[in-house]
Amino acid sequence: MDIGLDIFLQVMVWGLYAGCIYILLATGLNLIFGVMKVVNFAHGQLLMIGAYVTFSFFVLTGFNPYVLLAASIPILIVIGVSIERLCFRPILGTGKLNEIFISIGLIYILENVAAMIWSDEWKVIQSPFEAITVTIGSMKIPVDYLIIIVTTVVILVGLYLFLKKSRLGLAVRATSQNRKAAMLVGINVERMDMLSFGIGAGLAGAAGTLWVVSGQVFNPYMGSVPAVKAFAIVIIGGLGSIPGAIIGGLILGIAENFTVFTIGGAWKDAVAFLILIIVLIIKPTGLFGEEAE
Amino acid sequence: MMEKNRVVLYLTIAALVCAVLFPLVTGLNVYYLTVLIIMVIFIIFASAWNFLTYSGQGSLGHAAFFGIGGYISTLIAVKSGLTPYLTIFIGGAAAAAVGLFIGIICVRMKEWFLAMVTFGFAVIIQVLVASQFSSVTGGWDGVAAPPLISNTVPNYLVYEYYSILLIAVMVILLFRTILNSKIGLAFSAIRENELEARAAGIDPVRYKLLAFMVSAYFAGLAGALEIHYLGYVTPEIFGVDISFWPIIYSISGGLGTLAGPIIGTIVITLLWDGLQSLGLTYGRFIIIGVILVLVVIFLPRGLVSLPEEIKKRAPKWKVRFNKLLSK
Repeated sequence: MDIGLDIFLQVMVWGLYAGCIYILLATGLNLIFGVMKVVNFAHGQLLMIGAYVTFSFFVLTGFNPYVLLAASIPILIVIGVSIERLCFRPILGTGKLNEIFISIGLIYILENVAAMIWSDEWKVIQSPFEAITVTIGSMKIPVDYLIIIVTTVVILVGLYLFLKKSRLGLAVRATSQNRKAAMLVGINVERMDMLSFGIGAGLAGAAGTLWVVSGQVFNPYMGSVPAVKAFAIVIIGGLGSIPGAIIGGLILGIAENFTVFTIGGAWKDAVAFLILIIVLIIKPTGLFGEEAE
Repeated sequence: MMEKNRVVLYLTIAALVCAVLFPLVTGLNVYYLTVLIIMVIFIIFASAWNFLTYSGQGSLGHAAFFGIGGYISTLIAVKSGLTPYLTIFIGGAAAAAVGLFIGIICVRMKEWFLAMVTFGFAVIIQVLVASQFSSVTGGWDGVAAPPLISNTVPNYLVYEYYSILLIAVMVILLFRTILNSKIGLAFSAIRENELEARAAGIDPVRYKLLAFMVSAYFAGLAGALEIHYLGYVTPEIFGVDISFWPIIYSISGGLGTLAGPIIGTIVITLLWDGLQSLGLTYGRFIIIGVILVLVVIFLPRGLVSLPEEIKKRAPKWKVRFNKLLSK
């Protein structure tokens, strides 16, 4: 198949935009894993809640949905902190599979609470900028894609500055590197757990808002597909590695869009899994993963 | 210890007698029979899932094997005209083959990876079966599956129930035999400490793959039974729900015990049907979710450990109760 340079670039931009939502999810997962050594399997459901929060505020206030990031992120942070406090803290350090079981309970609770509040019909909203496209060279890019990419970059830069420059961020990184040593130097590791879970949930909330803004449909049970892709990214990039999540997200977003363009849309969701398997066969710890203990 | 074994034996026999007599006592009531059949099928499914955890592994996507068993058995039964009582074993074998493939990829991984890969696999296979292979699988409409016993036979449900019950008993006896053998010992060695197991000359990869295949085989068998009983199969069989039920049953009953999945399936199914008759559509999922979270936190060894826990805590309660009285 002959693909010209302009089409190639176009698909790259689509991939970048698609990757952004996955990156936000996967970064949150990795942050939580880094600090707590826990995988939150209900992470896709947090995205779903973020999408519905955005939807509700949009219907109520009519604000520009991008502004509603200011609602979805704090609300999801509160939800995340409560989940950590109520469900994950009691089982920290117990059986290896317990966090997975807790997550399943959470998936049931979150999905069906959402279905009770918002009904289980598919919903969609229109972005105010839907009709606007930007022409760069021969490419036509919807302005929404650009805003989503920029928003994601801003959020990630913010997270980077927080982790690298602030004392609290330093404490988070210390806990992530060595929990016991962090405890010894007087870091309240349980507070770090709460903080990282809150930030992770907030990132999922932001991903939910972006999901809604980009005009994708959602219902209470939609969380598992983006979650599976986030897991794939986490494995591709390496568990606990935030740069890995970003690169993995870009790889997946671009690969998905090339698949749609060349083989067909039906394979879009399968490609994540294929990449995942290839990476696992070549490098089981992921591209940027720490060696397993 | 001997005493306890005898109690367990009596309880098992009593449970079996109940399972055999129940349809007869209720006058072959069709509603009870359907509930019982689904229950016994899910006992096989949950036991198969639970078998995997003996080797320290966990799967979040057993619906993949359940569904593959169902689809392969159906397709072969339709094409060849063989009785489903034979094709279910072929369905199980297909599931085991796929299980081997998944197992090879993730057997060296930590439990999180295995859970993620299996979870993802079930989601992806649903998409593939619904769209890519729709010429064979009928897409989202599914295919009709031949029944285990033709519904022209009088009381066919009764025969189906007893045959499925027989299969379930044999499967659980087989699991018991495996787990009491050297293989079971190797499983628990790997589960407790993989490094030490390797030092003792146990090859963890081989045993983990074996556990994965056996588990996938019987999950596929259960799936095939379910599909032939229902009479049709759609890609919804790969749904997240189907992956989660055996986990919920096993955990609430008691992980890593033979009785756990059985007790869990019975209790949760009855609770589920009870909640349904109360008209709670979303509420029942929420209640099940809350129960799961509470069990993991407060009763990590499941309902099986309830008598023990009560015995352990009873003296404390007694003291407290007496204090209350003396006030």
